[in-house]
Amino acid sequence: MTASVWWSPLLSTLAAVAVAVLIGLLTGHLAVTVSLVLAGLLMRQLYLLQRVLLWLRSDRADRMPDAGGAWGDVIGLIARLFRRKQYHKRRMRQLVRELRHSTAAIPDGVVMLNPAAEILWFNRSAAELLNLRSPGDVGLRIDNLVRRPEFVNYLRDGDYRSPVVVQGAGIPEQHLHFQVVPYGAGQLLLMVRDVTRQVRLEAMRKDFVANASHELRSPLTVISGYLETLSQEETLEPVLHDQLLEMRRQALRMTAIVQDLLELSRLEAEGGSPNEEPVDVGALLARLRSDLLAREVPQWQVQMQVDTADRLRGEPAQLHSAFANLLDNAAKYTPSGGTIKMRWWRDAQGGYLSVSDTGIGVAAEQIPRLTERFYRVDPGRSRASGGSGLGLAIVKHVLQRHEGTLQIVSEEGRGSTFTCRFPLARLLPPA
Amino acid sequence: MEAADLSHHTSRRFNEDLERVRTKVLAMGGFVEQQLSHALTALVEGDSALGKSVASQDYKVNGMEVSIDEECSRILATRAPAAGDLRMVVATIKTITDLERIGDECERIGNIASRLANTERPEDHYREVKHLGRTVQLMVHNTLDACARLDSTLALKTARNDRIVDEEYESIQRQCITFMMEDPRAIRRALEVMWVVRSLERIGDHAKNICEYIIYMVHGKDIRHTSLESVEQEINSRAARE
Repeated sequence: MTASVWWSPLLSTLAAVAVAVLIGLLTGHLAVTVSLVLAGLLMRQLYLLQRVLLWLRSDRADRMPDAGGAWGDVIGLIARLFRRKQYHKRRMRQLVRELRHSTAAIPDGVVMLNPAAEILWFNRSAAELLNLRSPGDVGLRIDNLVRRPEFVNYLRDGDYRSPVVVQGAGIPEQHLHFQVVPYGAGQLLLMVRDVTRQVRLEAMRKDFVANASHELRSPLTVISGYLETLSQEETLEPVLHDQLLEMRRQALRMTAIVQDLLELSRLEAEGGSPNEEPVDVGALLARLRSDLLAREVPQWQVQMQVDTADRLRGEPAQLHSAFANLLDNAAKYTPSGGTIKMRWWRDAQGGYLSVSDTGIGVAAEQIPRLTERFYRVDPGRSRASGGSGLGLAIVKHVLQRHEGTLQIVSEEGRGSTFTCRFPLARLLPPA
Repeated sequence: MEAADLSHHTSRRFNEDLERVRTKVLAMGGFVEQQLSHALTALVEGDSALGKSVASQDYKVNGMEVSIDEECSRILATRAPAAGDLRMVVATIKTITDLERIGDECERIGNIASRLANTERPEDHYREVKHLGRTVQLMVHNTLDACARLDSTLALKTARNDRIVDEEYESIQRQCITFMMEDPRAIRRALEVMWVVRSLERIGDHAKNICEYIIYMVHGKDIRHTSLESVEQEINSRAARE
């Protein structure tokens, strides 16, 4: 390889020297002719080198100088490299432009932040939603421009698992939904969405449910009152009497639904921390048990097991309503001869309250939907039993309020266990 | 822009100190902004609990003022800043005083709001107060924006809005007097409303002061007690020269 590199220049130089020697011998000036020819060869190489240099400096790839031999090949190769680079550059630029156009067209606001929360780039929607100015705001910290404390804390705390909705971060009446997605080396992608409409709709829905239930309650009270008096009338025909009794039952069911709806909307409306105090769970369970036994003819056994005297920090009325709902459910779906068991215990993770029954149970695929409002496993049966369809929704809400979770284990035909789990921080030593 | 301004320091820690102070000031501003908006909402919607919560949160503003003040003293003592940096520290110390006063006015509005929530609301639902409130809120917001961007043009524009606030204040005052003369039973409420608008007008003044500090910080020119027109001419001619 190295040898073959030498062959071509050696041959051409030798040929030139041979010609020079020949002419020199003919003319008699051998030394002069040979030096002249060698100088000419050197000059030619230097000239071509100079032209290539000038061409490279000019930055014009298309105007390449023509030269033969090795120099021609060199020029050709350089030109090819250059063209390839240009092509890639053009493609990259196009790609970046397309990316920019597409991100700018995203209806959600997108802001790219560096690890110090300084703005690297943002799209048009973000500029509109957050009143950012391009390019002046690039390099400024985002929390200097979007200053609502909820957002600043969200950004600073670094817990980006859940989004945050902030009112008045941009335009005063606007509700903005912020979600930070970390990427790369500590960089952050901030997504902003206008959720004013959803927030208003949600508020309207809550107001509507609360108002409607409230308005329904007074007429219902009147109707149930008259039905009660009428059904006690002894001069009535038996057929009419039965109908009146049925009417009364339905009116009572409706009252229960309205009451549960009101309870739910109150739970939703109560912002911040409820009025919390230590609740003696054992005493609460005993009260619930005697209430239940007093209200209905007991066809089942109700057992109670209190393993810990620890008290639970929470809102007494809400906890009462949640546990009562669990117990009512158990009573409703347990056929006669069954057993209902309530248990309150604790371990290293937290406190647990469970209500198990030997009732009809729920199919596994229906468990996730149980806490939905008005969801019924078997519509015919549960209506007959007089449930409102809101009980477990109330339980779920109360538990959310108390940072608790609801676990449901059930086997069809064998019974179900509903377990409320409360964090350790909510447990208090016995009084 | 200011990233370039601040990057000439050989000590990176110094830059970080200055940046951190600014971020803290703006966080304090953001909190005050929220207090103002909550106080006004409490008043207009008759939300007594919200008004009380505004009043009880004011201690946070005070705490922030103290902490930023300490940090500024520390920078002055240990870094001995000069020129633009010195102006920034001085302007910051003044700015937080005004922000703290705005916080106090919000506390007052919150208290009045929780008191008024128990009485009957007027038929116009505080339309004028609401409007004045919006103007003042926008003014505070723009002031803080100008502070974040070191934008002296916006600061000047915002400072000029103070005149509108003053005019609206006058007109609401006259309106309140009319109400009181028409119906003596409305005197109590009208007096309370007077306090609210007075507070809002004061907040406008404080925002204007902060705008002046921003102009001082950016241009190194003290424009207190001078007419805004002459300041504007000065700034424009300076911009033309640059």
